[in-house]
Amino acid sequence: MATLQGTAKSIFLSEFVSAFFLGMRYFFKPKATINYPFEKNPISPRFRGEHALRRYPNGEERCIACKLCEAICPAQAITIEAGPRRNDGTRRTTRYDIDMVKCIYCGLCQEACPVDAIVEGPNFEFATETREELYYTKDKLLANGDRWEREIAANIAADAPYR
Amino acid sequence: MAKLIIDGAEVEVPDHYTLLQACEAAGAEIPRFCFHERLSIAGNCRMCLVQVVGGPPKPVASCAMSVKDLRPGRDGTPPTINTKTEFVKTAREAVMEFLLINHPLDCPICDQGGECDLQDQAMAYGVSGSRFAENKRAVENKYIGPLVKTIMTRCIHCTRCVRFVTEVAGVPDLGSIGRGEDMEITTYLESAMGSELQGNVIDLCPVGALTSRPYAFQARPWELTKTETIDAMDAVGCNIRVDVRGREVMRVMPRLNEAVNEEWISDKSRFIWDGLKTQRLDRPYVRENGRLRAASWGEAFGAITERVKASKPEKMAALAGDLATTEEQYALKDLMHRLGVASVDCRQDGSPLDPSLGRATYLFNPTIAGIDSADAILLVGANPRWDAAVLNARIRKAWVHNRTKVGLVGERVDLTYPYQYIGAGPTSLSDLGSFREVLEKAERPMIVVGAAALSRPDAAAVLAAAATLAKDVGAVAEGWNGFGILHTAAARVGGLDVGCVPAKGGKPTAEILAASAAGELDVLFLLGADEIDTAALKAPFVVYIGSHGDRGAHAADVILPGAAYTEKSGTYVNLEGRPQEAVRAAFAPGEAREDWAILRALSAQLGAQLPYDSLAALNAAMVSAAPWLGEVDEVVPGDPAAIDRLAALGGSMDEAPFVNPLTTFHLTNPIARASKVMAECAKLIEERAAVKVAAE
Amino acid sequence: MQDFWSNYAAPAIIIALQSVLMLVILLVAIAYVLLADRKIWAAVQMRRGPNVVGAFGLLQSFADLAKFALKEPVIPAGADRVVFLLAPFITTVLALAAWSVMPVAPGWVIADINVGILFVLAISSLGVYGVIMGGWASNSKYPFLGALRSSAQMISYEVSIGLVLITVLLCVGSLNLQDIVASQETGLATMLGIPWLSILNWYWLPLLPMFVIFFISALAETNRPPFDLPEAESELVAGFMVEYGSTPYMMFMLGEYVSIALMCALTTILFLGGWLPPIAVVPFTWVPGVIWFVLKCFGVFFMFAMVKAIVPRYRYDQLMRLGWKVFLPASLAAVVVVAVVLKLTGWRG
Repeated sequence: MATLQGTAKSIFLSEFVSAFFLGMRYFFKPKATINYPFEKNPISPRFRGEHALRRYPNGEERCIACKLCEAICPAQAITIEAGPRRNDGTRRTTRYDIDMVKCIYCGLCQEACPVDAIVEGPNFEFATETREELYYTKDKLLANGDRWEREIAANIAADAPYR
Repeated sequence: MAKLIIDGAEVEVPDHYTLLQACEAAGAEIPRFCFHERLSIAGNCRMCLVQVVGGPPKPVASCAMSVKDLRPGRDGTPPTINTKTEFVKTAREAVMEFLLINHPLDCPICDQGGECDLQDQAMAYGVSGSRFAENKRAVENKYIGPLVKTIMTRCIHCTRCVRFVTEVAGVPDLGSIGRGEDMEITTYLESAMGSELQGNVIDLCPVGALTSRPYAFQARPWELTKTETIDAMDAVGCNIRVDVRGREVMRVMPRLNEAVNEEWISDKSRFIWDGLKTQRLDRPYVRENGRLRAASWGEAFGAITERVKASKPEKMAALAGDLATTEEQYALKDLMHRLGVASVDCRQDGSPLDPSLGRATYLFNPTIAGIDSADAILLVGANPRWDAAVLNARIRKAWVHNRTKVGLVGERVDLTYPYQYIGAGPTSLSDLGSFREVLEKAERPMIVVGAAALSRPDAAAVLAAAATLAKDVGAVAEGWNGFGILHTAAARVGGLDVGCVPAKGGKPTAEILAASAAGELDVLFLLGADEIDTAALKAPFVVYIGSHGDRGAHAADVILPGAAYTEKSGTYVNLEGRPQEAVRAAFAPGEAREDWAILRALSAQLGAQLPYDSLAALNAAMVSAAPWLGEVDEVVPGDPAAIDRLAALGGSMDEAPFVNPLTTFHLTNPIARASKVMAECAKLIEERAAVKVAAE
Repeated sequence: MQDFWSNYAAPAIIIALQSVLMLVILLVAIAYVLLADRKIWAAVQMRRGPNVVGAFGLLQSFADLAKFALKEPVIPAGADRVVFLLAPFITTVLALAAWSVMPVAPGWVIADINVGILFVLAISSLGVYGVIMGGWASNSKYPFLGALRSSAQMISYEVSIGLVLITVLLCVGSLNLQDIVASQETGLATMLGIPWLSILNWYWLPLLPMFVIFFISALAETNRPPFDLPEAESELVAGFMVEYGSTPYMMFMLGEYVSIALMCALTTILFLGGWLPPIAVVPFTWVPGVIWFVLKCFGVFFMFAMVKAIVPRYRYDQLMRLGWKVFLPASLAAVVVVAVVLKLTGWRG
């Protein structure tokens, strides 16, 4: 009986027909995808995107060259050279490079940072045409910080209660 | 010996031990900040608290309590000490909390971060949070010199620096003022510290209050590649660790070696590293039309070959410098002998030390550790404070602990410990006055002949007189040889050991210089020899092999770029005759090569190929020539009979007073002269001397 | 001379013009069929599909065309250059050639030949040469394996397609494609006395099992999922097309889609009454036949696309089992049954 039923099922393509109707049901459902460059999904305040070096509101750069980010970086993507700043002798970086090609976006650098200087901002659209452009220098990172400061500050504030 | 029960285990320790040492001996780890093995006990950090059962009801600072102070229980059980109980743990947590009350949380910008005792111990023995909500103390930073940077807010008042400067360095420049929270470490009047050992306070400071100024913010300890090697700044042969990042030497730290430098190094050894980056010779040069121009190795070798081929062996000479390794000097001597050149010398200072008399005539026979047991020391024309700063600290230690009597013949200098001044010139050697009695009574007297005595024209006679004196006062006896030469150059003893001195018919340094000034010399090889009068080098064709563009390079006709002491492996023999192996920490810049390899390559060009293709083969050849050099890190004592031979030489002495040849502590070699930090220190000392004169 | 003009030249020019017209319309249609394929597939997966180039992505296929045309053609060093480049041409040209006998409306056909169905069968059988040549000329392992699979698969399913065609031809009694459509003007509906419901006249109902077998075989014949084994990416990377890129690759894709469209048209003609309206009442009969033809073709294509979206790929042994052990006996039996029924009832021939 069972074989008969199975044979009948396959002869009348019952599985295909039910799959067809299932397919048609989804056919008319609202689309799950968004129209990406024009629409974007909301992202978490903890989103780990492109790196940025922040400044204090008075324009002073936050980074104190403690090198903890360099030490913790599992991909060894960060290179820092430090020295006393010319005018006041405070500890500053003379070089702060991130090799975005090596970076794995784990966020350990921003976790390690004692002054919230290096952060992974909400920007994820930083594709470049050449590899060299992905070797971020201190200038580039500070410029990123200036550009994204409002969003980054808002994200840090939003995440602060859970830290 | 005393019996103790520490953490349940019975141990037996010497009576003079402190509780802390006893606990360490029992394998218990005791945290501490103020306690240091080589300094007096202060007992002010309270971190080393332990529980003495049956003793006082409060925890005891183990560093400040002696084993002798403990009494056994009524039933005769040994005194019981606990280091791991909850009681001790709470006590330490409380102390740590107190220490951190006024310690800023600025580890991220602190150079000590990563190698900080306070950091480590806070992690191990502290609590995670602070209950201190009030304002923290802030202390103004003090200027204590160009070498040590202060961030006084971080100070936890362990006073290690004060005790070091007072006890070991012997320069009471640092002290503390105020009490409790208001206590501050200061130089009283804002001035630079005046010790040659001040850099050691950086290592001693358990926090980041005293850090290295030249190294400030340069690197983190975890970034550095550490190479254990030997210092070449003076003849003591301090054991050092060179920290390198990439190809750059970032700092120099001392290594522990009880027999040589304990754990101190002089400031010259520690802060020389910036000189390794400037004035470097990174490619060969050839002089053309009176000007040096960059050339290739081939061109340089070609120019040398041409001149050597055109010259006769009698008209050639070679000098080895103060920083050369023993292997290099051996290779230089070997090469010159193959060329038939007899005039080879490693004694740039013109001293008459002669290896043919025997090793004992040019070694520091009593050994550095022997100073501890010496009970009378006569310094002849020596300024150990500048010539061998670490050794001077050892003499001071002998004075502090044993009240060793010190006498001085020569220039009056501040040696950081009191001494009996006998006279200025060699005549005083034969008339020591009351000090002769001191020496004769002493069980282990020492006669130390220094650079001022050795660089005189009549040095041979002075040496003989000193040797005679040593014999007469019983300094050379069974089991004790108190006759010592205080060398100033790291290369010297090695050079003498391998016989890098004129062969039969050869000229010593002074005659070589005289001959070249007179135009009788065609070719002169300088293996890093810079401490000579280069004005005399106008006539001969000078080949300079070295690392820095200093005096020798300026006078050279061909410059072959060599490696500095951190960039080459080799053997340095210290003044005691202790061969120690230096290890390459970084690579030489540009086209520069290790000096022995240059000599080897040059030898092939000159048609007198040296028979070793590796440093190991060279070392083996050297050891077979001087077998005692194979005993690395061991002193093979010289035969005391040699001193009799030296004394027998006799000779007449000049009346002129001894004059110390070193006019500065800091600028004694090409690396130091290239160093900005050393220049700054030298300038400071000069200024201070000028001020003193004005005040007097 | 007059003779030459009217007998040879004029028909030749007319046929050439007709061919060009057909080609242009066909290629534009293929462009949108491709887009429709992607859109349908995307819709079932709740995606949007191409929607950036032109409104609703209508120009996507043309963008792809430009992309393929402008890319650098790479010919592997070890490949046989001539055969390598010839293969995609053969695939495309043969697929297009079959369209010359396809009637899209009464009389709307370039070559109205009496053995049209045989011509189609012959031409589509030749299509396997393109695949085999491409796979062999690449001089590479995966393409070669892909080509072997592909030819075995196409030959297997041509057998059952042939037998299915025989059942239809038995019913029609002619090999002319126009006649096959014309024969569907009467049928089951007229027998039942409801001639206006002409949808029942078509062969899909009386020959329903054959219709299903034909449809499935058509999928296999055109290497469409679930039978896209020649280019199964998880096993063979891209089958016989591994070494292809740029314009040659595009030619392969074009040939594939042209033959898919051909199969849709053939299904329409054989089983769905060609250009006949589904209900023979006034508003429907006003609609030109070509519109009905295109709509039916698209309906069949929609099923093609849905199959791609909802059926998982067959394993190769399953494919072969289906072809030889199920479809071949089934269609063979159907030929006998249909012949017997026709003979006994005397409905046709």
